[in-house]
Amino acid sequence: MKKICLFTASAIAVSSMAFAGSFQLNLQGIRQTAMGGSGVAMPWDASAIFFNPGGLARLDGIQAYASVNLVNPGVRYVQAPTGGYTYETNSHTSTPFAVYVGGRVSKDSKLAVGLGIYTPFGSSAHWDDNWVGRYITQTISLQSIFFQPTVSYRINDFVSVGAGFVYAIGSVDITKAIPLMDMQGNEGQAKLKGNANGIGFNLGVQLKATDKLNFGISYRSKVKMDVNSGDATFTVPKSAAGNFPAGLATDFKSKLPLPEILTVGASYKATRDLTIQADVVFAGWKTYDSLSFDFAENTAALKDTHDPRSYKNTVAFRLGGHYQIGQFAVMAGGAYDPTPTRDNLLSPDAVDANRITLSCGASYQPIPKLSIMAVLNYTTTAKRDVTYDPANFKGAYQIKSLLPGLGISYNF
Amino acid sequence: MSFAACKSNIKPETPSKGDANFSVYVAIGNSLTAGFADGTLYRSGQVNSYPNMLAQQFQLVGGGEFKQPLLPGESGWPIALAAGFYPKRVLGYSTDCLGTTSLGPVLYSGSWADTAGSGTNIAAGGPYNNLGIPGIKCIHYGVTGYGMLNPYAARFYSNPSGQSPMDVALAQPATFYSVWLGSNDVLAYATSGGEGVVGGTGANDISPVAAFKAIYDGLIDKLMAKGAGGVLINVPDVTSVPYFTTINPKGLNLSAAQAQGLNAAYAQLGLPITFTEGANYFVIADPAAPGGVRKMLSGEYVLLTTPGDSLKCGGWGSMKPIPTRYVLTLKEITNIKEATDAFNRIIADNAAKYNLALMDANTYLKTLSTGITWDGVTYSPAFVTGGAFSLDGVHLTPRGYALVANEVLRVINARYHATIPAVEINKYSGIKFP
Repeated sequence: MKKICLFTASAIAVSSMAFAGSFQLNLQGIRQTAMGGSGVAMPWDASAIFFNPGGLARLDGIQAYASVNLVNPGVRYVQAPTGGYTYETNSHTSTPFAVYVGGRVSKDSKLAVGLGIYTPFGSSAHWDDNWVGRYITQTISLQSIFFQPTVSYRINDFVSVGAGFVYAIGSVDITKAIPLMDMQGNEGQAKLKGNANGIGFNLGVQLKATDKLNFGISYRSKVKMDVNSGDATFTVPKSAAGNFPAGLATDFKSKLPLPEILTVGASYKATRDLTIQADVVFAGWKTYDSLSFDFAENTAALKDTHDPRSYKNTVAFRLGGHYQIGQFAVMAGGAYDPTPTRDNLLSPDAVDANRITLSCGASYQPIPKLSIMAVLNYTTTAKRDVTYDPANFKGAYQIKSLLPGLGISYNF
Repeated sequence: MSFAACKSNIKPETPSKGDANFSVYVAIGNSLTAGFADGTLYRSGQVNSYPNMLAQQFQLVGGGEFKQPLLPGESGWPIALAAGFYPKRVLGYSTDCLGTTSLGPVLYSGSWADTAGSGTNIAAGGPYNNLGIPGIKCIHYGVTGYGMLNPYAARFYSNPSGQSPMDVALAQPATFYSVWLGSNDVLAYATSGGEGVVGGTGANDISPVAAFKAIYDGLIDKLMAKGAGGVLINVPDVTSVPYFTTINPKGLNLSAAQAQGLNAAYAQLGLPITFTEGANYFVIADPAAPGGVRKMLSGEYVLLTTPGDSLKCGGWGSMKPIPTRYVLTLKEITNIKEATDAFNRIIADNAAKYNLALMDANTYLKTLSTGITWDGVTYSPAFVTGGAFSLDGVHLTPRGYALVANEVLRVINARYHATIPAVEINKYSGIKFP
């Protein structure tokens, strides 16, 4: 038995189904999500730790903040250029969350500190086990959690700055079919599971130009997520087991770069109750050049993989408004997120396209210290006709998702 | 915003038949068209024939019913061990003369009871759309009574003794034909190790080019007389299949002492044959060589059917020459290539004359050698592991046939301005492993 070439196509990929271009999740604050994801210029609440650490020093008192979103993206695949079959991802809900605690160290201090725990990147796509693209991907789940201790300093009434250190943990969980069939017609499968971690930082400057006009700029560094010792296990027909690592298991290493992100924005208080804001977001996706998996034990059937991704940098636009009605506020917004992916390198484990997002939300303040917030975010793409050249896999995809979120904040 | 709005309902683009009419599709050909695999014909192989795959795609653009003369069983047919008709091959373990157990093709060992009734004439259930007959040559197409010579034809021809294959092909009012004829006009010569003659009509001969041309031209002319469309598929380079490429002709591995012993033995016979330590070309019988024996040359082939135990333990290829029927020499390969080229020119001329789609199987199957990737799987011509060729080393697996179907669809789409979608290859099986 000679080499059985199984892993010519991508072994593993880690993206998809995101809401701000590829696998970036833009769900770190309920109000901001409701305003199309904008929010770098205005410190709405303790979520400024994520959006712009410079804004934290402008908050009154200490705030605790928590939010959660229900993410259940739907992706549909159709055969292209014309076709007879379609496949869909199965329903699979994930719950990105954010928790922030922070504020000024004392009532008159210019210094504020805080901690943010949030999930800026993540994805999952559960295709059917027997779908046409099963040798590329069956299921994929990527999770990340960032821990960000943060300091913020109000230099004067106009300028405040902030910085945070990021420690990131994550996990990757992938299954894909192996084109080796047993006598009963069951196919082989590869499972890859691993934990990852990485470090990074973020910086922010917030400018209060006038009572009505704010500017903000934030920079979040690239975070290189390293999987140092993942577990790869294989199920194959008995007679083919000799082509795989002993015990049908081996370790693997991989790297996934989460891109640097620069956001510039402004907010304007048009009337006493209405604030509008807009952000421009530059994402350094070009760093995601390829996805490689390095298996500890290579065999005839198991080679290291190196799949081109060749992502492009992107510039996204976000716009939103916030209208206060006594104890209530309503928010609405929209965003345009161009995809970093290329038409000839779009793998079904990382489906993406230019995204249009519409969002709305509301908040209620039953007592001055407490806010309850809710958001509904709708994201869609046009039908996108693409190929994944390394696997010669063609098709058209559309992504649609409706995701609700809830949050609560309390001022001490 | 309704909840339904968050589920995509995009549909595939609707296929178009373009300028063609697929309402009655008839497939003409040999074993490849019948769905032959693993050394024989069996029911699921027929179900997974490329014409049946094409017919399913044609049905997306107005194609009609596609009837195949299905066998009842999965064991293979006919089975007559004494006459050399074996059940299908499956992957299994066997132990060779050295006591080494390895995985490879073995004969299916299950009950053959499911073949009962295979020989019963089922013409009443026709007319059949898949007219592929294993073993048929192009030059047989005009032979009246051909059904009496070939059990596969006898099964479903309505008048086996009174019809020629051409009569059967013309009996149906087809609107679209596929014709993949001609492989056996060279293949039988190749698989017999070049035992036949060039330009003969015997079982192992290479068919005469003039006869091939007369029959082929006549067939296409008659098929097209009623204004049908079609696709012609040409003759593959039969020497590119694993049947010829699996056993390395330079597969005689010798120690220094073994080489020395052989050198002494051949010197004693006065034959100019020498060996060195390491890999050597096998010794073969060749009537044209001094003493009727010589070493193989680069570019020559040892056939897959060569008994492995004779090579390993019987002294074949070293002490004794491998018999000519297990070897293709350069001269024989040249004969095959020249005939293949001549037949393919005739096929191309007909495609041009009648403005038909032409699937260049010869070129397409050669591209397999560098790998053909489709929907995440890479296929190669490697025996067993390549995924495209079945366990007989000549015919294809269901996935291999699906690759062929998709290449046929590509040329049909181009010629007839159609947009018929590709077959979902991953729905079909490749080689099955124990």
